[in-house]
Amino acid sequence: MSTLVVGVPSKGRLQENAHAFFGRAGMSLVQPRGGRDYRGTIPELAGVEVAYLSAAEITSHLAQGTVHFGVTGEDLVREMIPNADERVLLLDSLGFGHANVVVAVPQAWIDVRTMHDLDDVATAFHAKRGRRMRVATKYVNLTRTFFARHGIVDYRIVESLGATEGAPATGAAELIVDITTTGTTLAANGLKVVNDGVILRSQANLVASLAAAWGKAEREAARALLDRVAAERAARTLREVRSRFKAADAELVAEAKGRFGAIAPLGGPTSSGMLTLLAPPEAVHELAIFLRERGAETVMVAVPEYVFARENSLYQALVARLDR
Amino acid sequence: MASESTPRAQNARANGLVDLYERAGYVRVEPPILQPAEIFLELAGEELRRRLFLTTDDGGRELTLRPDLTIPVCRAHLAGGSPNRAAAYCYLGPVFRDRGGAAGEYVQAGIESFGRDDREAADAECLALALESAKHYGCSALTIRMGDVGLFSALIAALKLPPVWQRRLLKNFNRSGTLEADLATLKHAPPPDAVHAGVLAALQGSDPAAARAFVTDLLSIAGISAVGGRTVGEIAERFLEQASLGATSGLAPEVTAVLERYLAIAGDPDAALTELRALAADAALDFSGALDQFEQRTGFIAAGGVDVASIRFATAFGRAIDYYSGMVFELYDSAGRVKWPLVAGGRYDRLLTLLGSPQPVPAVGFAAWIVELEQAGASR
Repeated sequence: MSTLVVGVPSKGRLQENAHAFFGRAGMSLVQPRGGRDYRGTIPELAGVEVAYLSAAEITSHLAQGTVHFGVTGEDLVREMIPNADERVLLLDSLGFGHANVVVAVPQAWIDVRTMHDLDDVATAFHAKRGRRMRVATKYVNLTRTFFARHGIVDYRIVESLGATEGAPATGAAELIVDITTTGTTLAANGLKVVNDGVILRSQANLVASLAAAWGKAEREAARALLDRVAAERAARTLREVRSRFKAADAELVAEAKGRFGAIAPLGGPTSSGMLTLLAPPEAVHELAIFLRERGAETVMVAVPEYVFARENSLYQALVARLDR
Repeated sequence: MASESTPRAQNARANGLVDLYERAGYVRVEPPILQPAEIFLELAGEELRRRLFLTTDDGGRELTLRPDLTIPVCRAHLAGGSPNRAAAYCYLGPVFRDRGGAAGEYVQAGIESFGRDDREAADAECLALALESAKHYGCSALTIRMGDVGLFSALIAALKLPPVWQRRLLKNFNRSGTLEADLATLKHAPPPDAVHAGVLAALQGSDPAAARAFVTDLLSIAGISAVGGRTVGEIAERFLEQASLGATSGLAPEVTAVLERYLAIAGDPDAALTELRALAADAALDFSGALDQFEQRTGFIAAGGVDVASIRFATAFGRAIDYYSGMVFELYDSAGRVKWPLVAGGRYDRLLTLLGSPQPVPAVGFAAWIVELEQAGASR
């Protein structure tokens, strides 16, 4: 059964955002038997099956190779999969599900501002109390790696599967490592983030499993899917800039490339000076000024619906990694 | 002597090894394989967690397959009566540690000796028995690597450094076994606390009670009531320590020079001792107590028939386990055919206290790895 399986979050904001993402890329996720169905399809693509799972399940399926693609947070990938880069490929960050994994200590620890301070406090705590400082977290592996990088050894992890931010107040731990978006929950619990204590800036990613079966059919389906994803990404991150004036020539295009990061996807200007460029949104206004200085009467800017390129960088990255 | 490699022959050799220990007066014990995980994590830290084979009992208590036998033997000793009583134990059995690809279950033999106040003699006997263990397997070409954690502690104490530096240096020595990389960072240590500079200057020279009152005020102004885990006194105390460091950010150059000279000393124990005494004299540091013990121990080792000149002592040599407190050693196959140590051990006077003994108990011991000994013996 050579079907490409895509793991998609089954509930909450992550599901809504994932649906929106696939929708923008021209792929509708259909649950044939309604919202409680855990299997779905993408009518626009043949040979693709959607598996609705929790983000944590998606992550472990990616590691085991029982799904080919999945939408999940980088925090889960780094936490749950040892040597993650050997087993999965983070293809594209999707611009939603932002959250930071941070080290947070009680606000009263006014002498602790950096991880260096924390190291010293942890060692002193151990020496004085005869026991190690406890860190409440569900990110056991991220914590261990990060603390090791800062040379911190005098601590213990207390696994916490919910309401981690309450652990210092209840006396279950001295500090925490947890996920935060705005920091308000931390502050409400009398905690502050250590200055250099941001372990990971995470967001939702489209992740490929390197352990999955990647036969001819799966690769074809992946190419079609990633073609749409890449076209949507290009469309999301570029603006179409059009104009027509005599002075538009290859030299001018080269200057626009160098100064504004523009590309000429359809080649140089036509003989009548018809010019189509793609440029990053933040460079559009400067580019429009530049073009008018060189003789353009009118510059039109539009949001492209899709930009399909012959070269699919996402698919190429996947194949390069699979065949390594 | 081509040693037989059948399981029966290997078992016989391993049992012969324990017989050797029993004849030397060590009582064989067999602690449970299943141990509370808490103790190992508390003593060895989180780095050990990924090496442990963990499970949970019905009540949610975390258990582990024993990753070594020293802690289980200590627990059995503490359960059996007064912690201070002299006792000598030996063991043979499987231990379990995830070694990333290598077998997670392997057999270990060893001894632990508790409660002997004649520490230097006990150290020498421990080393002699470790060497005999290797000979039992037909390995006679051995490299003895040796260090002394206690010597480093004594040096640090003699340097009379601020507590912050003492803690940091000891921690990093225990952890890495070599401080070279760390010294480089300590020289250019973190920039002074610019944000708190004013507060720290105000606190400089004040007494702990005043500092405590100050921090209490500070917290109440900020509307912080729960301090979480550490007391206001502890926070104030560390603030005072920072203040006492003043503007100095790194270690003083003369201190770094002493540490670098110390850590470069290596050779046989007699030659090393000469250099250590010269260092103490040049830097006007008194850690003669530790040096005398070192000299005494070397004397006992020589008296036990060990060729002291063959021992590779290095001040920078340590074993990455927190609880060692004195001599540490590892025995290697000289020909290098076995990568790992065959036998390793040392003095750990703090461990029984950490495990709950009300008074410190002198303790020394070693572990011998049967598979490595078999390999070194067979490849002769």
